[in-house]
Amino acid sequence: MSKPSTAKADLELMEHADGETEDAGIAARLERDPDARAKLESIQEIGELVRGHLELSADAAPDAKFAAMWRRIDDQLEAPATGLWSRVTRWFDRYRGHVITGAVSAGAVAALALILRPSVPDVGRYGAGGTVIDVRPVALRATPEIDALDTPGGTGTVINLDDDEDGHTTVIWVTPADTVEGI
Amino acid sequence: MSERVSERGDAPWRANGRRWTAVVMIVVVPALAGTLKEARADVTTECEFLEISAKVGDKPAIDPELSPVEKKLKKPPFSTWNQFKLLSHLQKPLAKKKAEPIPLKIGSATATLVEIVDKSKVRLTITMDDHKGKQVANNTATVEAGDYLIYVHGLPNNEGHLLSLTCK
Repeated sequence: MSKPSTAKADLELMEHADGETEDAGIAARLERDPDARAKLESIQEIGELVRGHLELSADAAPDAKFAAMWRRIDDQLEAPATGLWSRVTRWFDRYRGHVITGAVSAGAVAALALILRPSVPDVGRYGAGGTVIDVRPVALRATPEIDALDTPGGTGTVINLDDDEDGHTTVIWVTPADTVEGI
Repeated sequence: MSERVSERGDAPWRANGRRWTAVVMIVVVPALAGTLKEARADVTTECEFLEISAKVGDKPAIDPELSPVEKKLKKPPFSTWNQFKLLSHLQKPLAKKKAEPIPLKIGSATATLVEIVDKSKVRLTITMDDHKGKQVANNTATVEAGDYLIYVHGLPNNEGHLLSLTCK
C-alpha cells in the first residue's frame, strides 16, 4: 500500500522531473510507490505539453516581429550613432528591403520599357513606314565609294555625278565585250 | 553586434539580397538580352528600284513615273538616249545580309544590305543578270541615303537597260 503523499514529497517529485535533484531517496520511493510513479509521469506529461505549446507559439510568431525585435536589440547593443555616415548606414540597414524592392522595380520597369518600345536598329532611327536611316542634307553627303565591281563578259565604267540639289549619282556603266570589240 | 542567422548560416538581409538578385537575374537579364537580339535583327533600309529602258527616238520622251530621275536622265551620260520608259518599279526593304531578289522585266537582280555605315550610308551589294541569266555586274558600293546608284547595261541597237536605286 502506498504512503500518503505530502506537499513536500510532491515538490521533490517535481524537482526530480525537472532534473533539479537526483536524491537516491526519491528514486527508492519511486521504485516501491506506484502512486509516486504515476504522479511523476503526470508531471512530465504536463511539462511536455507546456514546452510544446511554447515552441509552437514561437514558430507562429511572424518573421517581421522577430526582425523588429532583433533590430531593437541591436540598437540597444550598439553605441549611439552620432556621425552622419552612421545615421545613413543605420537608415539603410533599416530600410534595406525597401531600397532593394525599389531598385528591382525600377529595373523591371526599365526592362519592360525596353521590350515594349518600337524596335530600333543598332544604327539609324525608326520611321512611320519602317526602319530608315538618316538622310543627310546634300551638302553634307559623302562621295559614294565603290568597294568592289565585277563585270563578267564586259567592261565596267564608274561615273560619279554631283548635283547641288539632287546629291550624288553613281553610274555603273557596263559595256558588253562584243560591243567593245565591235567599236 | 549580434545578428540573427538563417538556416544556411547567413544574416537574413543577406538571404533576402540573394533572393532579389535571383529575381533581377530572372526578369531583367532575359528581357535585356531579348531586346538586344531584336535590335540586331531589325537593321533594314527601304530601297526604291526603277527599271528603265532607254533608246534614241525622234522625239524626247520620259515616262512621268520617272520624275525622280528625270533631271539626271537629261544629262550626260544618259543624254545618249532621249526616250526613257519605266519597265518596273519596286520599293523593297532590305534586311541586313539578306539577298533580296529584284524581279526585272529584262533579266533579274539581287540586292543585299551589307551594313549601315555612320547612320547615314548604306553598303549594298547589287548583282544584275541579263535575260539569258548571264551576270552583267556584281558590285558593292557605299552610298549616302538619298543618293542614287544607276546601273547601265548597253544593249544592241544603241539601246540601254537601266536599273536605278536609292535607299532611305
